[in-house]
Amino acid sequence: MALAASAVAQTPLQWSEDEVRAIARHGPWPPTAPRDPSNRVAGSANAIVLGEHLFNEPRLSADGAMSCATCHVAGRDWGDGRAKAVGRAELDRRTPSLWNVGLAHWFGWDGAGDSLWSQSIRPILDPREMAGDAGRVAGLLREDKALACGYERAFGHKPGGDDEKLLVDAAKALAAFQATLISPRTPFDAFRDAVVAGDREAMARYPLAAQRGLKIFIDAKCSACHFGPRLTNGEFGDVGIPFFTRPGEVDSGRLDGLGKLANSTFNLLGKYNDDASGASALRTRHVQRLHSNFGEFRVPSLRQSGSGPFMHNGHLATLEDVVKHYSEVNPERLHSDAIPLVRPLALSADQSADLVAFLRTLSADVPSRPAPPLLCP
Amino acid sequence: MRLLAALIALLITFPAWADCPLDLGRGTGIVIFSSHYLIAFRPEPLRIEVGEPFSLLFNVCTKNDKPAELVAIDAQMPEHKHGMNYRPTIVSLGDGRYRVDGMVFHMPGTWELAIDVRAGEESERLSHELVVK
Ligand code: HEC
Ligand code: HEC
Repeated sequence: MALAASAVAQTPLQWSEDEVRAIARHGPWPPTAPRDPSNRVAGSANAIVLGEHLFNEPRLSADGAMSCATCHVAGRDWGDGRAKAVGRAELDRRTPSLWNVGLAHWFGWDGAGDSLWSQSIRPILDPREMAGDAGRVAGLLREDKALACGYERAFGHKPGGDDEKLLVDAAKALAAFQATLISPRTPFDAFRDAVVAGDREAMARYPLAAQRGLKIFIDAKCSACHFGPRLTNGEFGDVGIPFFTRPGEVDSGRLDGLGKLANSTFNLLGKYNDDASGASALRTRHVQRLHSNFGEFRVPSLRQSGSGPFMHNGHLATLEDVVKHYSEVNPERLHSDAIPLVRPLALSADQSADLVAFLRTLSADVPSRPAPPLLCP
Repeated sequence: MRLLAALIALLITFPAWADCPLDLGRGTGIVIFSSHYLIAFRPEPLRIEVGEPFSLLFNVCTKNDKPAELVAIDAQMPEHKHGMNYRPTIVSLGDGRYRVDGMVFHMPGTWELAIDVRAGEESERLSHELVVK
């Protein structure tokens, strides 16, 4: 069989109607990006430039040494390649990639943020990260000539006297920038489009191992959670990753995140939401805190997810380790009284390699990022 | 949602109810009933997308043609025994008409709606399965 396959031009696998539908749901890519109505400068070219400058600005931090880009590194798929982020101290969670973050509706591993701009405030204020404060950010926007000019261009007026409002505006510019980070098309996208078009010749260009891996992905119902074009439904789950941070202490994930969300002055129910219709706050208004949220973490996108480590705490080093985890996960760790969504798949070595091959086709090479344009040339 | 189309016909075959009209505005909807109640509803937007918030528009009537009360609504995936991550709210629009906001089916598959209705002392739970893909 193997001989025959390599000797003749490869033919694509057969795909059932249901499989074709499942494959189609993971595209098209790139998607049309929605504009965030809670952020009045979302999509504004001037705000995007200001946001990129602020993203690289170490003076937002207390010691002038740490910027967003310290942890979210462009050349590392907007992560840092570490198992756990390092700020002024080691944090409990991994720095997530910022690719496609503008398409999410909950932010952070625990979903404590309900907008990209509110999530961008957290690291500025967190004493373990940039340890900054509203006064510092506001002062910088008012006093630095280039930033003040960039602010005026983005917001249409000079920076005002209200520090907290300026902190929020800085975060809205940061969000406008981050929303532009759309990951490139991948070999999977070419295959997906070929499947939808019924173009068998184009389908045959997608490696057979990846096709077999995709079949496993569909069969194993990975896409119940890793759904849609980003390969995440944007919600939360527990796939059996240990959530002890240190002996006797746990990261309760979503459960704690919902508490933080409710207590935040920057959530979408608060005064800084620019969306007068209130429609953008729908999820925040209706979300409910459940016992089952304990130990749940956000379902990560599988696009351009970098070279690891993986999971909320970097518990698994490589994609091979992730597949091994799903193959051998202890069902007792996952309390479930129904058909479990995650169960030990007991994959053979070949099947595991195929699934990894598929997961790798969700990434592509990214050209290095040019320096941002000047704020006020 | 091909089911919807199939059920339009069903809806149209009901006579025009004077006190409790089963009219959802666009002539489309799903009708379910028990020996006491008749419920018509439709999602808005009409196509439910995985992970996207939607609303449900309801007409709740007794079999004697009187408006009934929509008391509660919930949904779960019978296969996985988990519910929604969101708590919907019910707004009464009068005459047995209701609007339910804040529904989200966050996974593809079969979802079972549990619809609690009441008329006077008598309450009952009706259910209906929806498949989202
Ligand atoms: C010390 C490292 C560090 C710094 C500095 C940092 N981040 Fe992060 N970032 C993280 C970690 C860790 C998380 C996950 C947080 C959590 O789950 O609670 C995160 C999460 C995020 C998220 C949510 C991503 C998602 O997928 O939900 C956004 C957006 C973000 N950071 C933007 C920023 C911005 C903007 C700055 C600068 C103002 C910044 N970060 C500075 C480490 C860092
Ligand atoms: C119940 C929902 C669910 C199912 C089903 C599921 N996953 Fe996940 N997946 C998650 C969650 C939640 C995480 C993050 C868990 C954590 O950090 O603790 C995750 C993490 C991952 C990661 C790591 C991504 C990263 O950036 O860290 C990969 C890769 C992955 N899953 C692949 C798969 C594959 C392959 C399958 C099918 C065999 C699958 N998942 C099934 C919810 C799910």
